[in-house]
Amino acid sequence: MAEMWISMGPQHPMTHGLWTLKVKVDGETIVDADPELGYLHRSVEKMGERRKYFMNTTLTDRLCYASSTTWTHCYALSVEELMGVEVPQRAQYIRTIMLELQRLASHLMWAGAYMPDLGHITGALYFWRDRELFLNLLELPSGSRLLYNYIRIGGVKRDLPDGFEEKTERILKLFEQRLDEYADLFENSKIFRMRTEDVGNFTASQAMNLGITGPNLRGCGTKFDLRKQDSYEIYDEIDWEIQTREAGPGYGDCFSRYMVRIDEMKESVKIIRECFKKMPAGPTMASKVPIRASGDAFRRTEDSRGEALMYLVGDGSDRPYRWKIKSPMFTTISACPHYLKGYKVADIPSIMGSIDICIGETDK
Amino acid sequence: MEITKFMKKLSSHKGVSDVALIRDNVVKLDLGKEDSKDFFISLKEDYGFEHCSLISAIDNQPQFELVYHFSVIEGSIFIKDSPKTVMIEIHIFLERDTPTIESVSDLWFGANWHEREAYDLMGIYFLGHPDLRRVLLPEGFAGHPLRKDYVYEIHEEEW
Amino acid sequence: MSLFSFCRWMAEWTANYMLIPVFDFQKNLFPPFSHPAGTIADWLGTDGGLDTLAWTFAVNIAFAIGMTNLILVIHLERKIAARIQDRRGPMLSFRSFRELGEDLAGEAPSWRFKDNYSGIGILQNMADGIKAITKELIVPAKADKFLFTMGPIIFISSSVFLLVLFPLSDRFAASSAPAGLMVIMAAFSIAPIGVLTSGWASNNKYSMIGGMRSAAQLMSYEIPLLLSMAGVFLLAGSFDPVTIVEQQQEGTWLFGLPMWNFIPQFLGFIVFMICILAEVERVPFDLPEAEAELVEGWTTEYSGIRYMLFLAAEYIRGFAGAAVCTILFLGGWAGPWPIPPEIWFLSKVYLILIFWIFIRWTVPRIRTDQILELGWKKLLPLSLINILIVIFMVEIYPYFSDIVNLPEVF
Repeated sequence: MAEMWISMGPQHPMTHGLWTLKVKVDGETIVDADPELGYLHRSVEKMGERRKYFMNTTLTDRLCYASSTTWTHCYALSVEELMGVEVPQRAQYIRTIMLELQRLASHLMWAGAYMPDLGHITGALYFWRDRELFLNLLELPSGSRLLYNYIRIGGVKRDLPDGFEEKTERILKLFEQRLDEYADLFENSKIFRMRTEDVGNFTASQAMNLGITGPNLRGCGTKFDLRKQDSYEIYDEIDWEIQTREAGPGYGDCFSRYMVRIDEMKESVKIIRECFKKMPAGPTMASKVPIRASGDAFRRTEDSRGEALMYLVGDGSDRPYRWKIKSPMFTTISACPHYLKGYKVADIPSIMGSIDICIGETDK
Repeated sequence: MEITKFMKKLSSHKGVSDVALIRDNVVKLDLGKEDSKDFFISLKEDYGFEHCSLISAIDNQPQFELVYHFSVIEGSIFIKDSPKTVMIEIHIFLERDTPTIESVSDLWFGANWHEREAYDLMGIYFLGHPDLRRVLLPEGFAGHPLRKDYVYEIHEEEW
Repeated sequence: MSLFSFCRWMAEWTANYMLIPVFDFQKNLFPPFSHPAGTIADWLGTDGGLDTLAWTFAVNIAFAIGMTNLILVIHLERKIAARIQDRRGPMLSFRSFRELGEDLAGEAPSWRFKDNYSGIGILQNMADGIKAITKELIVPAKADKFLFTMGPIIFISSSVFLLVLFPLSDRFAASSAPAGLMVIMAAFSIAPIGVLTSGWASNNKYSMIGGMRSAAQLMSYEIPLLLSMAGVFLLAGSFDPVTIVEQQQEGTWLFGLPMWNFIPQFLGFIVFMICILAEVERVPFDLPEAEAELVEGWTTEYSGIRYMLFLAAEYIRGFAGAAVCTILFLGGWAGPWPIPPEIWFLSKVYLILIFWIFIRWTVPRIRTDQILELGWKKLLPLSLINILIVIFMVEIYPYFSDIVNLPEVF
């Protein structure tokens, strides 16, 4: 069979959204790849220039459908940096709890989407069943299940409802039991390991140069987590570890990326528990939040998928003059020819699934 | 290398001005357009900034401003008694008539699509870029919509 | 009474009371129908005519039983898959019909608010079938139209053909050939040609890769599959299902239980179970239609009833594969007396099917190069070792036991 280009997408089970991956194959081996984006481009940055600072939190919610709180939080943090707003202690704790709940939901969404990529439909239903638990939890304070708009500039929308801690504890306990059960079905399964081990390898130094961050970089054994390395909210007051895993000396494969996310979920459970223990009383919103800003500022946060960065320029009015979003998936997808080459067509969903694509944030 | 020492070293580079510490781990500086490539090479090779976080283009009316964010992941620059890693924010100003600059995507592959996006939405031309096409907007789209003088109605029919 | 004698009796009855009078009447009505060599009515009176009619009945009965089982298997798969996935599976089918009926009768929809309402989930198959029939049969503009139509015909007809080839018991068989199992395996091997044909004719890259994968997969599992069956044939000395099943009842092991073939030929049993899974293209070996990377593989361009028949044919092949496995290794229709042998046979078949359903919904799919490696590097040596064991049992041990008076083990 001669070499040929196959166009996967924009409607393809592998894509997890709307994008096209053109792969050049020689028989079943991938020779070259060319990703194409833009099907979901909503010009968030341009829209943001027309809206006031506090209005933009609805846009940031819609950046990523799997992990909307983390993006709103990144925006709120950047605007607070720009305006010089101090967030009350209790609001920081609540934000941390919400971020970790969102991270759990996002990782579960990823795990559920990854299993059908490997031909394992049951895994999807298991993980999405558990995701429901966390969506229910996120619904309690924010009032909605997908786009929360809970984190606001200067704090959070409202305090946690009564009984939130007990409900969370109950669900976390159930979730921990279930994760242990799933170990037999997934990471101890021979076929699962055959499909994921030694597939989609890249070394840590390659990953840094390609712009890959987050769990994908930690899957290469690099201890780089912005929650520690550029700490925000109260992550430096809490006792937790950066979860890393490597497939070999300095490189990671799909399985190590899978395991990093599973370990991260366990770590998130620990963080949430400790937050509840240490949470002080007090207000949940800064007393004074300006609506105008000038100068420029940026903050970066550890999104569920990697390094999220928002760069804001204000010109003294109540609207941002320029608002630039860095999406971790944008660079990770751009690098896909590097880590797809040499593998089989059947490995494409396995590799592209393991890096956790979210096209909403990628196309902005 | 401690961050204060690093800042001192930065000032000695050609074209660098206004080196400042804007947060405890973020260094900000202005850079001349002509000396940018040499500076970026030494930033990667000598100081170990492995990761290109973001390239943003701003339309400052009249000139353009490029803001580069680079970060250290495992490099040698550190802050005393802190797990935080160092970032650098570089501002480069471009004339409106010649919005061109040398590409850094051969140094950091992660910069490749950021440059494509800056070209796509703001019309900055990166010299030496291997594949400078539109990335978010469709091929054949007229104009660069994030420019402040962009008017949508003009280009509607062309596209 | 065997199936054939029952059908023969039915054929006689039909010929005497229904067909011959009709043909005679026709002959009188239209003289041109009468022929000097004899009419259809004359032929039906002979033994040959009655035998032919009886075989037709037998084949139709086997076909009907196979199709009934098909519906049961699909329903079983849905239900078990649902239970594995913490769901309930199809519970209500034709719900809208029921609602419509109640609307027409002017009653309030009664079922809607009952929490213990259960419908007839098995009718979901009918609903799917009706839906598939009403869909358009799309042929892509640049497809090879002849081969595009031939592909499904090859695949489906060779699969349906399987239904009449295996016996449910020694008395319940629609076909009896001395080389019965060889014919079954030959019929099994036709389908990949249909897959390759339709994959190529679709003029779609995904379909073509799917078809190519099917061919590659065929090369990897077919040889160990037949070699693992060779052990059974050596032991029984025949290709006939009846002989093979009877042979399995001869030996005994613990507590006087019959020594079915899966005990002495454990290696062969494992190899066969893996290879037959690949043969019927179920997870983890459903590479030709890997929906994650190839959309739907070689069935991508098919729509409507063609697509539905592909799915149905796969279940038929699964059912036939489980039946072959039962005959070869699990003692066929043998079982304690009060339950009829046909029921024993079917229950063993369903046991294997349930095992396969569990596999299907709990493991991921493996890769093309991995199945090639598995087939050539692992299964082929194992099946050869199995044949060596059987040769030792059948030829070498009896030879030496005659000379040096060894205890009779095998």
